[in-house]
Amino acid sequence: MTALGDAFKRLFNEERDALVLGVLRLALSALLFFNGLRLVLEFEHTGYFADYFHMALIPEAWVIGSATYALLLGVQAFAAVLAFLGFWPREALLTASTLGLYFLLCDRLQYHNNRYALLLLGFLLAFTPCDRSLLLVKARKHTLPLEQRIAPTFARRLFQLQVSLVYLGSTVGKLFDGDWRSGQVLSLRFARTSEVAAAHGITLPTWVNELLSSAWFASLTAKAAIGSELFIALGIWFPRVRRLALWLGVVFHISIELSAKVELFSWLMVASYLAFVVPEARERRFEYVSGNRRAEWFARFVALSDWCARFERSALSPTATGPTFYVTDREGRRAFGARGLAQLAEAIPLLFPLWLPLWLYARARAPRSTTAANSA
Amino acid sequence: MPRSLLNLSPHLRPVFFCAYLATQLVLVVRAQKSPDLVFGFQMFNASSELKISLFRKVRRRDRSKVVAVRDGAWELKDHSGERHTYRWQDRLPRNQLATLDRFMHASYGLDAQLFRLQAALADFVRHLPGDEETEAVIAEVDTRINGGELGHVRLQADRP
Repeated sequence: MTALGDAFKRLFNEERDALVLGVLRLALSALLFFNGLRLVLEFEHTGYFADYFHMALIPEAWVIGSATYALLLGVQAFAAVLAFLGFWPREALLTASTLGLYFLLCDRLQYHNNRYALLLLGFLLAFTPCDRSLLLVKARKHTLPLEQRIAPTFARRLFQLQVSLVYLGSTVGKLFDGDWRSGQVLSLRFARTSEVAAAHGITLPTWVNELLSSAWFASLTAKAAIGSELFIALGIWFPRVRRLALWLGVVFHISIELSAKVELFSWLMVASYLAFVVPEARERRFEYVSGNRRAEWFARFVALSDWCARFERSALSPTATGPTFYVTDREGRRAFGARGLAQLAEAIPLLFPLWLPLWLYARARAPRSTTAANSA
Repeated sequence: MPRSLLNLSPHLRPVFFCAYLATQLVLVVRAQKSPDLVFGFQMFNASSELKISLFRKVRRRDRSKVVAVRDGAWELKDHSGERHTYRWQDRLPRNQLATLDRFMHASYGLDAQLFRLQAALADFVRHLPGDEETEAVIAEVDTRINGGELGHVRLQADRP
C-alpha cells in the first residue's frame, strides 16, 4: 500500500524543471501552425468542406457555417503563433488543439492519425508548465530562473503515455493483420517503389530491384518494423534502454519520411521525444581549450545546438595540453575524442542520429578516449 | 511564477489523468469496430486497391434501367428546358473516391473506402436538383485486397 501510495504521490505531485517543456512547446506550436495553415489553404482553394460531401461525427446541426469556420481557422492559426511566441502559451495551445479536434469531429474524412496525434499532444502539453522557458515575447528574459521553473509535471507523464499509445496502436494493428505480418503489404509497396522509380526514369541497380521484389526481404522488413515499433512503445519507459529506443525511433521516422508521404507525422513523433528527456538542465559539462580556433568553433556549435540546455560550458587554459575538448556526462564520465563526441551526440538533438554509430565506434577504441571521472 | 487556469489542483490531477486515459482506451477499442478505424492509430494497414464504376438507375417511359455514368457526369434538361450537368467529382473535391474507372490505393484499407463510398453515394443522390429521372446511384466496385484475388462489391443509394 505504501509503495502504491508513493507511486501515486510521485506521479501526481512530481515537480521537475520545466525548461525542456518550453522547447517542446516551440516544436508543437510550429506543427500546429502548419496543420492550421493546410486547412486555411484547402479552404482557399476548394472552399468550405461542409458545402461538399463530408461525414460529421457529431450531429450535423453542430457543424458550423462557412463564415464561422473561416473565423475559427484564423483563431486557430493565431493561437498557434501565440503559443510559439510564448504569449499566454498554454491557453493558446489548448485553443489551437481543441479547435483542431472539433474540426475533425465535423468531418471524419479529414481524419488522419498524424493530425489526431498532433492535436492530442498539443492538448496535453497545455496542461504542463511549458510556459516557463523560451517565452520569445520576453526577448532576452525568455527563460525564468531555475526556482521558478520547478513545477508539477504530471501531465508530462500523460503526454508520454499518449506517445506510447500511438506506437502500441500501430503495432497491434499490424500484428493482427496477417498480410502485414507476413510481409505481403510491404512487398506490394516495394514493388510500387520500383515502378515509381522506373516511371521517373531512375534505374535502380539490379540487386536493389531483386531485393525489393524478394518475399524474404518484405517478410523480414515487416517483422523488423513491428518489432521496432513495439520496442519504441515499451522501451521508452525503461531508463536502461530508453536512449536506444529513442534512437531507433529517430532512425525509423527518418526512413518513413524518406519513403512515404505522412504529412507532419515524423516531425511530430521525433519532437515528442523531448518529453522523455531528463528534465534537469546543465548536468553535463563541455570543456574546450580557449584560444584554439577549432575548439572555440566547436564550443559555439555546442552552445547553439544545445536546445535542451544539457551542458555547462567552460573554457580550459590555452596552455592546457592534451585533447582540445572534454565531455562529461551525467554520471561523471569525462571523455574526449570519439567517446566524447558520442557523449555529446546523446544530448544534442541535431547530433542524436549519430549517437549509436559514434558510441559503437568509440567502444571499439574505448581505452584511448576516456579518462577517469573527475581526473582533470 | 506564471499563473494559469490550466494548473490543475492536486485533487483534480488524478481525475483528469484517469478521465483522459479512459477516454483514449475507449476510443482505441471502439476504433477496431469502425470500418475507417477512426481514432485508432492504425497506420499503413493495407495495400488494397479498388476501382469504382458509376451507374444510375433511371426511370424512362415507366421502365427502370441502369445506365453507365461516363466520366462521372451526365446532362439533363428540366421542365423549363434548362440544361443541368451533374458531376460526381463536384461533390468530392480532394477526395480519392472522385477517381473513377481505374484502380487506386485504398487509404486506411478497403473497408474504410467502401464505408465512405456508401456515404458518398447517399450524399450525391440527395444533391441532384432538377433531375427527375435518376432513382438511384450505383457503384460497381472491383476490389483487390493486398494484391490477392479480385473481388466485386455493389453499392447503391436510392433517391430519398
